[in-house]
Amino acid sequence: MDKFILRRAEPKDVSDILRLIKELANFEKMEDQVILTEKDLLEDGFGDHPFYHCMVAEVPKQHQSADGHVIVGFAMYYFTYDPWIGKLLYLEDFYVMKEYRGFGIGSEILKKLSETAVRTRCSSMHFIVAEWNKPSIDFYKRRGAADLSLEEGWRLFKIDKQNLLKMSSEE
Amino acid sequence: MDFTIRAASLDDCKDISRMILKLAEHDNVSDQIKITQRDLEQDGFSKNPFFHGIIAEVPEHFKSRDGHTKVGYSLYFYTYSSWKGRAVYMEDLYVMPEFRGKGIGKALMAKVSQLGLAAGCTQLNFTVLDWNKSSLDFYRKQGCWDVTSDLGYHCMRCEGDALEHLGGHLHFTDQSQ
Repeated sequence: MDKFILRRAEPKDVSDILRLIKELANFEKMEDQVILTEKDLLEDGFGDHPFYHCMVAEVPKQHQSADGHVIVGFAMYYFTYDPWIGKLLYLEDFYVMKEYRGFGIGSEILKKLSETAVRTRCSSMHFIVAEWNKPSIDFYKRRGAADLSLEEGWRLFKIDKQNLLKMSSEE
Repeated sequence: MDFTIRAASLDDCKDISRMILKLAEHDNVSDQIKITQRDLEQDGFSKNPFFHGIIAEVPEHFKSRDGHTKVGYSLYFYTYSSWKGRAVYMEDLYVMPEFRGKGIGKALMAKVSQLGLAAGCTQLNFTVLDWNKSSLDFYRKQGCWDVTSDLGYHCMRCEGDALEHLGGHLHFTDQSQ
């Protein structure tokens, strides 16, 4: 199968985007963590000030998946800022359905993302990978990615809503 | 000690730039700074800003040894979690050494939390260097947890030649996964 197109996601794609987000989360054994809805995706991605950008990989109808889907891969990203080097492209999610791997879809998505990063004058693309996900780590390292947690000692921290509320109300 | 926390404006970029350099010196990486005061002005204060800033300011009679009244800052921007939706990322948090221990850092972080919650965010994310024990302790006390330790997530970066490579500007052979 060599025919697929990559295009910017449209509002009609939110159902497929959510499906693929859940598939990826399921692979990371975190599917119960996904509380995002189609309505959130619609509001947050297609309003006046989008919180994210998305591209999707689409195959022709004759190559649809076993459950009848033609959207078979996606990448969700947004722009961030490093006060030392400026604009960055942050890759939040990147996934191709299992039955569609090995056809170059993933590579093509990364290529498009890199073009976007270079075109918008981002000096770097950042993302996180789970340390047990060896195939993905190898995929990225083959393409020149550096592991900042290992090499520079950066640790990602998080504060959830409960503690945010606590912090914001303290004088 | 008296201090105020307020949104940064264009005029604050000179002091933000000064303090960014101080923070980089602390992390031993000040030679990596490519961003100028002018870049900050353009990137943070145009129609579509790439970041937002807040400043901690003290009254004139409490100014620093070198005469500064802007003594701390935080830079943050909005991101998106494909699991939980809107999130806020705190890129920098810094208080000048002579003004530490007075609750300024906590107040700056509280402000970022307030703004994030107001914008509909359900989480605040940031990174800390593993040798920075005082920061690690401060954040843990605020209820933060270490995603890298607990879930094994590593921060990755693709830049320079590697980024150009990916974009297909340089030739490479894809040994397919």
